[in-house]
Amino acid sequence: MSDPIQFKGASQMPMISVSFGHMDWNKTGAWRAQRPFYEDKTPPCSAACPVGNDIVGFIQKITEEDFEGAWNLIKQENPFPGVCGRVCFHPCESKCNRGDYDEPITIHGLERFVSDFASSLNRKMEKVPRVRKGKIAVIGSGPAGMSCAYHLAKLDYDVTVFESSSSAGGLLRTGIPSYRLPKGVLDKEISNIEQLGVEIRTGVSCGKNLELDGLRDYQAIFIATGAHQSRGLHIPGEKGRSVFSGLDLLKKINLSKRVRLGDKVAIIGGGNTAIDAARSVIRLGKKPTILYRRSKEEMPAFGEEIAEAIEEGAKIRYLVNPIHIQQKDGLRRLECLRMELGDKDESGRRRPVPIPNSNFFFEADSVIIAAGEEAEVSFLPKGMEKRRGIVLTQRDGSTGIKGIFAGGDLTSNQRTVAHAIGSGKKAALAIDCYLSGKDSEEATRQILIGDGPSISIFRYLHPEERLMNPHVVTFNELNTDYFEPLERRRESKGVVKKRIKGFGEVTSGYTKGSALEEAERCFSCGTCNRCENCYVFCPDASIIKAEGVFSRQVDYDFCKGCGICFSECPRGAISLEEEAR
Amino acid sequence: MKKVITGNQAVAYGVILSRVDVISAYPITPQTTIVEELSELTASGRMKTVFLKVESEHSAMAALIGASTGGVRCFTATSSHGLAYMHEMLHWASGARLPIVLVNVNRAIAPPWNIWSDQSDSLSQRDTGWVQLYCEHNQEVLDTVVQAYRVAESVKLPVMVVLDAYVLSHTSEPVEIPTAEKVDAFLPPYCPEYPIDTQEPAAFSTIATPDHFLEFRYKIERAMEQVPEIAKKVDEDFRSRFGRGYGAIERYGKEEAEILLMTSGTVTGTSRIVVEKLIGKGYDVAGLKIKRFRPFPIEEIYKEIKGAKKVAVIDRNLSAGVGGIFAQELRASLYSREKRPQIFGFVSGLGGRDITPELIEEAVQYTVDHPRPEEEILWLGLKK
Repeated sequence: MSDPIQFKGASQMPMISVSFGHMDWNKTGAWRAQRPFYEDKTPPCSAACPVGNDIVGFIQKITEEDFEGAWNLIKQENPFPGVCGRVCFHPCESKCNRGDYDEPITIHGLERFVSDFASSLNRKMEKVPRVRKGKIAVIGSGPAGMSCAYHLAKLDYDVTVFESSSSAGGLLRTGIPSYRLPKGVLDKEISNIEQLGVEIRTGVSCGKNLELDGLRDYQAIFIATGAHQSRGLHIPGEKGRSVFSGLDLLKKINLSKRVRLGDKVAIIGGGNTAIDAARSVIRLGKKPTILYRRSKEEMPAFGEEIAEAIEEGAKIRYLVNPIHIQQKDGLRRLECLRMELGDKDESGRRRPVPIPNSNFFFEADSVIIAAGEEAEVSFLPKGMEKRRGIVLTQRDGSTGIKGIFAGGDLTSNQRTVAHAIGSGKKAALAIDCYLSGKDSEEATRQILIGDGPSISIFRYLHPEERLMNPHVVTFNELNTDYFEPLERRRESKGVVKKRIKGFGEVTSGYTKGSALEEAERCFSCGTCNRCENCYVFCPDASIIKAEGVFSRQVDYDFCKGCGICFSECPRGAISLEEEAR
Repeated sequence: MKKVITGNQAVAYGVILSRVDVISAYPITPQTTIVEELSELTASGRMKTVFLKVESEHSAMAALIGASTGGVRCFTATSSHGLAYMHEMLHWASGARLPIVLVNVNRAIAPPWNIWSDQSDSLSQRDTGWVQLYCEHNQEVLDTVVQAYRVAESVKLPVMVVLDAYVLSHTSEPVEIPTAEKVDAFLPPYCPEYPIDTQEPAAFSTIATPDHFLEFRYKIERAMEQVPEIAKKVDEDFRSRFGRGYGAIERYGKEEAEILLMTSGTVTGTSRIVVEKLIGKGYDVAGLKIKRFRPFPIEEIYKEIKGAKKVAVIDRNLSAGVGGIFAQELRASLYSREKRPQIFGFVSGLGGRDITPELIEEAVQYTVDHPRPEEEILWLGLKK
């Protein structure tokens, strides 16, 4: 401090009391008892995403109108944004914190928008000419196999995919009707993967043309052959004529083969295959009735699709269980029992219990059985542990046999596209660790999103970038004063009358305007989006802006640790810890 | 271009034409439509302004103190309780010599609860070091806002522009809207005395010990003393460019008169008619409109006293224990003068009651009939 100034009189004095000395010497940071620091935390959407998408990251890019940047972010983790944006059951949205405020963000719609945008620009994946580290075989070209192939190619492996059917895509091609997933979208994303150097050999079946022993040239094998065999009902008459499995029906329709169906179609089951079958049957001009042995609450199919099926005219009868498929004068007749719900079973759903002597008959011209599928495991080598129709693997997809990994529907009862894509990615990581002598368990632990089970392969490739505390941000940790209630932007759907006339896509994607509006709704949980609230609120001007650019740095020389930045951060991207003494 | 607009809209036009950089305001009846108009103008992009939403009038003024220190042109508007709530910051604005312009829509202060016109709110702030200008009509409102910035930025003191609730704020009149080019030519951009430079940090309004505090206040007083001359020049320049000027006061009616009728705000408009009528009836009377209250225009008023024996002052305000504030100011400032006419201090129209031509006539008649007032406070229209 300098000596006090003495003026002789008013004429010498400035207009106001002003000191041109500075207070920089007074490092008020020394008063600090607690220290704020920028620390991104895990948003609940990403933690819930089986694929491990950086959802908040790509939505931020959308808000910046950097759609290509959004696409680049998505494709780091997921080669199938066009597929997922359409058919994923979006657990991310169920966990979205905005759901506790008004309505969750339409994440799938935004993912689809980004993918459609990239597609419209005809953006292609780039193959980086690098020395390939080894040869890997992938068996099965469904979402698990292709995801594994994709990530392995990006990790510089030479990948060959073997596919038994005549074209790649697995269940995405044969099991999902094109009104939900147009074939062009799938073709595009598969061709993107091929552009990375992945070779796909179609028409090659395991156990027929291809013995596992014949793959000795490959340093590792990833098996993802899916689950295609109808579980069946194990009731008399199910092998009769005009009785199909749900997947068979969908496959025939998808491959444009002729399907012979009677007018009245009974569909047995309550999963997505049953719903897909019913909606396809409607599009073939027939009348489906779904028979499900539990009630609506227990139905495993996704709610939105059940609603769409009902809209389109599908009938559903609950608490009904066929026990016999009979033929009478060319008509099929299902003898059914009425059911009631008993105690919970191991799946947590209430068990259907037959009501004695409640037998009745249901007449149908065709019967479709969609009561679940199981994997074909007969071709698999000994040494791979199997249980209840699936192959048991470690978390990273490794099997009992060294060098052989497995994933997708073959290894899990969580039969979703997203889980399949995620398992392929994990296997790619495990294969890389296996071949480079790294501990795959440890590597996985480093890159878990939240507490897992999903992983970020970006973080595997760039361990120092986009660091994130695994803590998953809860709604209560947000400062919602900075958000205004706003309904989600809905995707538009075709009118029922038109859409049941064919297999054209039912849902239309976002326009740029709606995508921007929807992205703007994102809370960006745990992730700084440079809203600069901290900068505005800091009473000590201790949030540093370098040359006008917000730097996410605290000036600890002067920060007194008041914690205002921490409490005014709308999204929990600032942490506060006690200062070490 | 002429438009039929309310007084509050005239305020907004004055603000937009003055190219204000930062607005911070909290809504209060009857000022609210000013804030609405300005926020819409800002949101629509018609006005390049930062509009700060705040949680109180105290914060509104505090925010402007920060912004004005930063070297930009600032505006706020308020009324009644809002102005009272700002009180502390009003002192700060003048003490820090910040040329902020504030529009106050005159409204009574509760209780009893009342939202109508009454000058007690602004006159309660007469000692805060602000220049105060009272308007008679909507055209004057617009013009005064524009003039206020030039005066404020010349003397480095804040200016309060005052208009009556409803009678002006919510009543439409034809108003000539000057073009932006002409206003730009009249009102140059604000150049702060001590611009903020983050590379050269400085601390403003730091402590001044008893060694210096008196001198800082002396400087404020000297600045106030410059206002009459500067405001006169600004008004003359304005008149030369736009054909309208207002002066600190305005005399109407007879050139020489025994009785002067002194009013402010919209009461003047009514008084003009009464004075004309009474002159027609042979009364020896002239009107005196007081536009500037602070600094009190005693020099200008004294010139107009000429041979007047009595001054009837109508106050729409009350300083309990003393009476009408305009009358009190006039009494105090005439004390040292040679000519000291009798001051008749009428108090009327509090809380928005109409001051009708009949009441004004009654005041003049009382003044004619009495050699000196029978009481210090003459209640006009009081229901006893």
